[in-house]
Amino acid sequence: MSWAVILALGTVITAGIYLALSRDLFRCLIGLALLGNGINLMLFTSGRLNSLSPPIIPAGDTVLGATANPLAQALVLTAIVISFAMLCFSLILAIRIVQENRSDDTIALREAEPHSNDPLKPIIEDEP
Amino acid sequence: MDNPEQNQTSKKGPDSTLFHLAIPTLLFSCLVWWLFYQPLPWSFQIAWVPSLNIGFSVFVDGLSAQFLLMISGIGCLVFLYGTGYLAGHKKANHVFLLLLLFMLAMIGAVVSDNLIVLFVFWELTSVLSFLLVGFNHEEENNRKSAQQAMLITGSGGLCLLLGCILLGQIAGTYSIQLLIARAPLFINDPRLFWALGFVFIGAFTKSAQFPFHFWLPNAMAAPTPVSAYLHSATMVKLGIYLLARLDPAFSDLFFWEVSLITVGIFTAVIAAIQTIYERDLKRILAWSTIATLGTLVMLVGMPGEGAALATAALFFAHALYKAPLFFVAGNLDHGAGTRQIDCLTGMRRYMPWTATAAFFAAISMAGLPLTFGFVAKDIINLAKSQANLLQLVSYAAFFVNVVSVAVAAIAAIHIFWGQDTIPRKAQPHEANLRMLFPPLVLAATGLLFGLRPALIDPLLGLAAQSMAPGLDPNKVDLSYDAIPVIEATFGTLALGLFTYLRWDWLHNKFNRLQAIQKRGPESWYNAVLETLPLVAVRSTRVFQNGMLPRYLLTLIATVAALLATLLAASGLNWQWPEMESLPFPVLGASMVIAAGALATFRVSDHLILLLVGGMVGYGSALLFLFTGAPDLALTQFVVETIFVVVVAAVLVKLRSFRNETAKVPPEKRFRPLHFLVAASFGSVFVILCLLVSALPFDPALTDFYGARSLLDANGRNVVNIILVDFRALDTLGEISVLGFGLLAAYPLLKQIREKRR
Repeated sequence: MSWAVILALGTVITAGIYLALSRDLFRCLIGLALLGNGINLMLFTSGRLNSLSPPIIPAGDTVLGATANPLAQALVLTAIVISFAMLCFSLILAIRIVQENRSDDTIALREAEPHSNDPLKPIIEDEP
Repeated sequence: MDNPEQNQTSKKGPDSTLFHLAIPTLLFSCLVWWLFYQPLPWSFQIAWVPSLNIGFSVFVDGLSAQFLLMISGIGCLVFLYGTGYLAGHKKANHVFLLLLLFMLAMIGAVVSDNLIVLFVFWELTSVLSFLLVGFNHEEENNRKSAQQAMLITGSGGLCLLLGCILLGQIAGTYSIQLLIARAPLFINDPRLFWALGFVFIGAFTKSAQFPFHFWLPNAMAAPTPVSAYLHSATMVKLGIYLLARLDPAFSDLFFWEVSLITVGIFTAVIAAIQTIYERDLKRILAWSTIATLGTLVMLVGMPGEGAALATAALFFAHALYKAPLFFVAGNLDHGAGTRQIDCLTGMRRYMPWTATAAFFAAISMAGLPLTFGFVAKDIINLAKSQANLLQLVSYAAFFVNVVSVAVAAIAAIHIFWGQDTIPRKAQPHEANLRMLFPPLVLAATGLLFGLRPALIDPLLGLAAQSMAPGLDPNKVDLSYDAIPVIEATFGTLALGLFTYLRWDWLHNKFNRLQAIQKRGPESWYNAVLETLPLVAVRSTRVFQNGMLPRYLLTLIATVAALLATLLAASGLNWQWPEMESLPFPVLGASMVIAAGALATFRVSDHLILLLVGGMVGYGSALLFLFTGAPDLALTQFVVETIFVVVVAAVLVKLRSFRNETAKVPPEKRFRPLHFLVAASFGSVFVILCLLVSALPFDPALTDFYGARSLLDANGRNVVNIILVDFRALDTLGEISVLGFGLLAAYPLLKQIREKRR
């Protein structure tokens, strides 16, 4: 039953990249969030969706029965927290950038970049 | 042009520069001593990179011994000459150090039996040649010449490395001797064509063969002792040495024979024509060196034992007459202050000893009887008549010989005889003893071996045997009595003298060929050198365009293309997962996720975009809830809620800055290119995931955690146990990431608050 989830995560990834390519800094941020979500879903499905019951050992048993894959869940749990931390940092960074540059247009954010109308560098010396 | 501004040493007793002679002399004497007492070949081995099968294995046979003699013998004389030529020069020690390093590198190259080790020494000689040519680096022309020599021989060296590796893979060994022994096994391997092609490029760049020949005359910018040593006697012969080394393995190959003979004779003819075109004695000698190198390449390519012997003889003869002529050019530069042949006549009066050396070297170069040059020419003619060459090649070789006779006449007659009618600032003077001894010794050696060829028979025989293993070195006899050959020699002599007499006329005629030279290989080299920085500038402009979205676009498109290529090339059997029916909650959650993602394409308002993006998060949480992952669902709900609430609060702030600086036109509502790239990345990703989910799942690790978590960690929630017990260290890392994120965010937050005040 993973095909439906995979198709859904495909749209999430596509939307994430499309937003990240935007000139609007805020859209980039949301794109980043979506990408993180998509990747989490990917990790989750790679553990296969074979069972709908949670991976908890019932009282009386000592060994886990046929349940959902606990390993993938542990991985995704870590990933959710980390991507949340990264998002929060990006958000604060974005606010600071906008505050400093008075613009949220990623094309206008080029403090460290040459402008397209710069004279060519390095300058080639004329031969005598 | 080197500039001997230093003049004679002041006479303050013995000067220390003679110490530079110590190592070359020691090497030369040891070598001669060993040659008498230790029969060839000598071999021993030192392991270097055993895992790659690279060892410093030394193998010295006749050919190596001949080169060792030339390297160390001429090396001694060059060092002696250098102490006179560079006396008082403030960077003389620098030159001697480089020359010494060069000498050791050359020795390493000719004694190594391993192709890779040989390559390393080969490149070392290139680097040292660069440093020596650019010795007077204050002059722009010298820098350019040095750069040219380096770029051409250096890139040729890289081709050689490629060729050596290919050869090594084909033969299964990097040892030259083993390679020769195994040659019959792989002689029909089609890859051999490429391997030898690359080896050829390496050898031709080093030995200045067409179309890479032009660096050698320009390298004459080096001080004269350096030119005599590197660019005439030793280094430029290294390429031919390598070809001669490999000759026994490949001499039967048609490709080998044809390429070497064609390139060799073509180079010789081009160089002979160019010789007439020059007026600077050193450059004349440089071009005639190229002509000789061409002849040598041709001789290596020719089959038969006679050709092998001829190669060995010409190696020696050329070293014995060309090095003294270079020394003579240096003496003239020193004594008369010029090397232009128009300004040099009647020098015999001022420089009698230089004139003597020039005379004896020149008669050997012209191939007059009783000289070693004559012996060499004799053997070459014999080899040519045995090898049944094309008639065209014989004519070309004849032409090259004629020009070399003319060059010899220029060096011996034109410069030193006749009336000195040219007005000068200062009277030319004879060079000092240190600069006279080397050319005289070499020229005299040439005469000695010419009078008694039997002295050199055994060594040349052994050297020839390295190139043609069938040859019996004991039967080599260089004595000459073939009358027809002598007649042919006199034909060359007569025509050569005629060329000499009409030199100026020919020179003017050839001046018209300048247009051709302007479009020759050197202009291609210059064109490449000028284009490269432009290409670099353009490509930098294209890739570093300063647009953040475009960087990301390039990156993602590249990754998508790479992934797609890898997928296509992986040879998977493209098995798709089964499309079984879904439980309704899973289908519903998936649809919520997809709907949220799709909606983001249409939404323009930031707040709505945030909510729609949140839909994807909540959708995932629902999915987790229905597929047996309640922990995930809880976390996802919390995280997503906090994110949406916080960002919504921040949005108000961000909006106030919205496009205050509208330098660039506003963004389009729909961006087709971006959508295309995003969609292709998304589809590649989906295909990858589908393929993966169809593969059989390996439950080993999952089963391990399932089986052990109650027994070892006393917990029934397996996810929880994995996180806080089995993989506790990972969780610690995760918490640290959170902490570091906070640490990094804190100063930013502080700045934001300060600004707002």
